[in-house]
Amino acid sequence: MTTTAVPPATFRAAAPPGVRRATRRAEHVACGVLMAPFFVLLVAVFLVPVGTAVWLSFFSNDEPGLGFGPEHTIFVGARSYLAVLSDPTFLGALGTVVLYCLIYLPLLVIGALVLALLLDSGAARLRSWVQLGLFLPHAVPGIIAALIWLYLYTPGISPVVALLAKADITVDFLGVHAVLPAIVNIALWSNLGYNMVIFYSALQAVPREVVEAAVVDGAGPIRTALRIKTPLVRSSVVMVALFTLIWALQLFTEPMLLSQSTAMINSRFSPSMYIYEAAFTRNNYGLAAAASVILLACTIALSYGVTRWTNRAPGELSR
Amino acid sequence: MPGRLSRRSLLAASLALPLVGLGGGCARSGSQASNTGGRVRITFWSALRGSRQVVDAFNRTQDRIQVVFQQIPSGDQGGYAKLSNAARAGNAPDVATLEYPQVPGFAIDGVARDITAALSDGLRAKLLPQALALTTFDNKVFSVPLDVEPMVLHYRTDLFAQYGLTVPRTWDEFAALTRTVRDKARERRLVLFPTNGFLQFAAYSWQAGAQWYDTRGGVWNVSLADRATRRVAAYWQQLLDDGLIFANASPGRQSDAQISQGLVLARLTGAWDAGAQMSSQPGLQGRWAIAPLPQWDPAHPVVGTHGGSTFAVTKDSTHPEAAMEFIEWQVSSPDALRARLASGTSSQYPASPALVAVGRQAFNRSYYSGQDIYQLFETEAGKIRDGWTWGPRMTATRRVMEDGFARASGGEGTILDAVQEAQRATMPDLEALGLATSEHST
Repeated sequence: MTTTAVPPATFRAAAPPGVRRATRRAEHVACGVLMAPFFVLLVAVFLVPVGTAVWLSFFSNDEPGLGFGPEHTIFVGARSYLAVLSDPTFLGALGTVVLYCLIYLPLLVIGALVLALLLDSGAARLRSWVQLGLFLPHAVPGIIAALIWLYLYTPGISPVVALLAKADITVDFLGVHAVLPAIVNIALWSNLGYNMVIFYSALQAVPREVVEAAVVDGAGPIRTALRIKTPLVRSSVVMVALFTLIWALQLFTEPMLLSQSTAMINSRFSPSMYIYEAAFTRNNYGLAAAASVILLACTIALSYGVTRWTNRAPGELSR
Repeated sequence: MPGRLSRRSLLAASLALPLVGLGGGCARSGSQASNTGGRVRITFWSALRGSRQVVDAFNRTQDRIQVVFQQIPSGDQGGYAKLSNAARAGNAPDVATLEYPQVPGFAIDGVARDITAALSDGLRAKLLPQALALTTFDNKVFSVPLDVEPMVLHYRTDLFAQYGLTVPRTWDEFAALTRTVRDKARERRLVLFPTNGFLQFAAYSWQAGAQWYDTRGGVWNVSLADRATRRVAAYWQQLLDDGLIFANASPGRQSDAQISQGLVLARLTGAWDAGAQMSSQPGLQGRWAIAPLPQWDPAHPVVGTHGGSTFAVTKDSTHPEAAMEFIEWQVSSPDALRARLASGTSSQYPASPALVAVGRQAFNRSYYSGQDIYQLFETEAGKIRDGWTWGPRMTATRRVMEDGFARASGGEGTILDAVQEAQRATMPDLEALGLATSEHST
């Protein structure tokens, strides 16, 4: 979860000094009042928990040797971090989520963009109905969505599996190879419409004369979409990719629910599930805190990487 | 992306809510020992069958201590998470029920008190030494054994007679029998390998001579995949590969159906399961009997235990003396055992040998066609192999191993892979807790 604070724009109005000072004071008060909720929330739900996690990851109630002696809270340095990084199940969880991002991210961004371009091109009839239909799944809470899909995936109760079986196709959606695509499918179903709306509204802002100019120059609809419109909504693409990446790294709800029905999703399937298990099953808060900090660091690093990479691209193009 | 963020925080809230509720529940029902009307009030949490009856009997027999009982979910259904969360919040019950594998973990976390000094010599003398050894670490006693459950072979007498089968005495005979059953009745199998059967697998390994943990030299020596365990893993893997046994979760809908429809002919579980089955499968009365567990070496018979519980006094108890008195009564009084057996759901084998006669007399034998199962349990309890030690984080070890078992049952990896994976996933836990460790198998 990243939060960017926009610095308050300071502007100087040409006014007499006394009035200017009063205006500026009023401005400061307004600024403070309007921004206070943001900072209160930032401190309460982000900085304090992060600080606690960092503290927990460096300190521990320790008893030496077998562990049956009296406990002392001591500084343990990087011990929890070393334990997490030497845990094959944590590394496996990281690998899983990376694979998940590699499948999910391109599918979501390209899928949403294509849908938005189709809607924007005027090719689609019943535009508002299509939009509504695509957006509706996003209104379904993630846990409910996972339940619905669990029902559709589970052999024996799923009408889809039964229908496919009638056509002599046996699919085990919860089997070893299909389970990650099955989770990707749930996430796509939930989020495709939402991101399509973001792209669509960005496309609405593309000046019509630019599109007309392209058409006059002889560009067909596909060429217009790919060469004219898509570059113009680039900032939206970056934003969607960034938020989707951050969300995907915290993968939790869908696998947590599906894990009750398939052995292919273990209790440490994704980093978030690993953290949950470390804290509440293994009762090892130091380990959970260290894993959380590592996940946060990975998320920040990847977000920074994506931002840097996409910001540099236009400079290179113009060179 | 406010939609996104709010959904994640909703999820976080929904995760946190049960915990909040739990904490609230504990605050009301936790250790609020107080003197009311001259009686000391202590709280007791348990998931054991028949606990209500036992508590009622205790409250009737004396007027100094009032026990407030709360039935909690079994450990793997959240009972242990509830206990450790309550302990973190400082309101754990006075007396908590811990299964043997959980004792070292709760002792290390400081939830279970060191009760070495509070354990009277009289009580110590009443308990089976092998049982007390399982709750003693570093020469400190952390909980008092209630029952000790040697693993036995439960089998269908009618189906054994129908197919002309004899009860196997060795594991070789047992393996041969799995093939016979499969050949004689294609839809039936002799036995089930429970994919969530960490405790069963531990009992098999225990019997075969495995030593998953030991604490020699003040260090947690971990060797989940030692020679004996590898032998056991290979044995079951072979049966699995040959399609001679079922492999699914138990208990569960599928395994219940397998038992009620007679698809499995035998079960390998602790002595306690005789009573559990009476209440879960009343329709099969008179069709089951119990025999000793098959042996690797019949000349030197040994068994491991499957199940069994202990009582601990928690760090939050304000009346530890009253708590100990209640515990002592529960584990050593004939009235306590009678009350528990009268519930009709228990066949607990007491860790106090003096109570065996009481159990034999109080247990309703009609389900087992009059078989004197307590006599059998007594013989089997004498064969429990000494020296087994549970490790500090068994819930996590168990989960990883069972995830592996489930995959192995679907043809992904092997039983041995599951065991090795469990060891690899356990070591970081112990290291993060600051414990001294060493590994003796990979």
